[in-house]
Amino acid sequence: MENRKVRIALTKGRIEDKAVELLEKIGYDVSELRNKGRRLILNIPNEGIEVVLAKAADVITYVEHGVCDLGIVGKDTIMEHGGKFYEIADLGFGKCEFALAVKKGADFYEGYGVKTVATKYPEVTRMFFEERGIDVDIVKIEGSVELAPLVGLADGIVDIVETGTTLRENGLEVFDHVAPISARLIVNTVSVKLKQERILEIVGLIKESLK
Amino acid sequence: MRRKDLLTPEGTRDLLFEECAARRAVSERITGLFESYGYSEVVTPGLEFYDVFNSKGRYFPPETMYKLVDGKNRLMVLRPDSTIPIARLAATRLRGVDLPLKLFYSQNIFMVNPKDSGRDDEIAQSGIEILGGNSEAAEYEALMLAAKALLACDGDFRLEIGDSGIFRALMESYNCDEKAAENIRCAIENKELAALDRIFETPVCQEEEAFKALPRLFGGFEVFEEARRVLCGDAMERKLARLERLCRGLCLIVPEDKIRVDLGLVHKKDYYTGIIFRGYIEGYGQHVLSGGRYDTLPGDFGRDAAAVGFAVNVEAAARILLQKDRARFGKAPDVLVFGGKGAEIAALKHCDKLISDGMTVYNFLGECPKCAAKYAKAHNIRRVDIVSEDGAVTSEEV
Repeated sequence: MENRKVRIALTKGRIEDKAVELLEKIGYDVSELRNKGRRLILNIPNEGIEVVLAKAADVITYVEHGVCDLGIVGKDTIMEHGGKFYEIADLGFGKCEFALAVKKGADFYEGYGVKTVATKYPEVTRMFFEERGIDVDIVKIEGSVELAPLVGLADGIVDIVETGTTLRENGLEVFDHVAPISARLIVNTVSVKLKQERILEIVGLIKESLK
Repeated sequence: MRRKDLLTPEGTRDLLFEECAARRAVSERITGLFESYGYSEVVTPGLEFYDVFNSKGRYFPPETMYKLVDGKNRLMVLRPDSTIPIARLAATRLRGVDLPLKLFYSQNIFMVNPKDSGRDDEIAQSGIEILGGNSEAAEYEALMLAAKALLACDGDFRLEIGDSGIFRALMESYNCDEKAAENIRCAIENKELAALDRIFETPVCQEEEAFKALPRLFGGFEVFEEARRVLCGDAMERKLARLERLCRGLCLIVPEDKIRVDLGLVHKKDYYTGIIFRGYIEGYGQHVLSGGRYDTLPGDFGRDAAAVGFAVNVEAAARILLQKDRARFGKAPDVLVFGGKGAEIAALKHCDKLISDGMTVYNFLGECPKCAAKYAKAHNIRRVDIVSEDGAVTSEEV
């Protein structure tokens, strides 16, 4: 097997834009990343680095299986998806939070009835309530979760809150904070051992350019 | 209803031809190594009582075990691990046998992986367990065999060594509840540097400094130097000195660049009590070898013995080997032998002769010599021997 390039998986979309800026700040030639067309594997010339674009959960899968060495992905996906890898740095961008939101003025923790929570993140929700020893029914929703308490499907939602505008416009408010979120740099557990120098050099450069 | 009679369950597969050959080659090389060092083979049942794996201190999360019930409605599992059954064995049928015991095994383990993760639920493993004996000598031997087992799989390997006793000792002198301890352990295991920096933003004691530093302490032997700056006290110094002695000693047998140190190895499998180690080979995204010292486990079953051992993921090693050199395992037989009607026995006799001359043969069962030649060509068999009823042979090169 020939020695393949160091491969970095980026989460498509907003994290990708920020990450490309970061790589540019290091001094890498990111022209291919800026004019990518429909290509999914892009070269950073002269550095022996390849960038792979993928959906958030897939970034974790690729890194976990070792076909990508490094990945940049949101903590939200890491918490929901889990997996075996090293979460080696908090990149600080893409900041938001997981929060429990309810209809304005409602008290989610009141009474002894079992409450229903709608969410796109059943794992995060389960862990949050398990830690507090609260029994809840979790309903997985694929689209706008804010709808669920409004139409009476759920007592509350666990979702990503950035500015809170969507909540406000729909008469909801944050009731409790679940966890802060930001983009993380993850690395395959074997890559970092077999190619320690090179991987840690790249990690160092990325951390440096965050300052 | 979807047809299930044509599929294998997720996480399992049929192995065919060169896949079998590669797996057998790996497992033979490794078990051959163990045998040549005088280890005795054991096989434990695939089916065990659930309780064997679910007592405190040898905790396998229930959701990761395949469970079934026996005829008396008792809860059973497909063994998720071989070390625990061997500890049981040492305390039961082998209780009368003097220590040290040197055992090896080659058997499959089973685990439930998350849905659609693409991981194997059934894994062939070969490994050793050393119970009793001088502990440092046992560690040298286990590590040396681990390195040799990895070398037998692939030249491009790393053997990484750490000491779970360091984290344990730190936790003992650090005051916190079980949940907080588990959070810290998790953050160290996953090298969540940011999380640790947040938890211990302003470290107030040596332990907190050490927790922050542990996941960063990996690499070559320079790690020991760095470790001494953050891990203080006589007990720590003794642990580090011992680990360093072990690593440097190992270098006399194994090239130094193959040996790595990681003081941030803090396995979840918490029957480990001292050194822990892992093996990596290029081309596989997870470790292919895992082992360590587990001094309390045999005692849990009623036989006090210090113990150290490891297991190699034969499945993974075979797959890498196959990827790198497929041709080596799909070897065609040397000679196709064709007898035809009336010459069946003569053909088999001729096969025997060729085999006794050290060749491999394929006794063709079809009707005509033409079909035989065609088959030989399609399957890369270079020579065709046509045998007549009286045993006369005509050879043709294809």
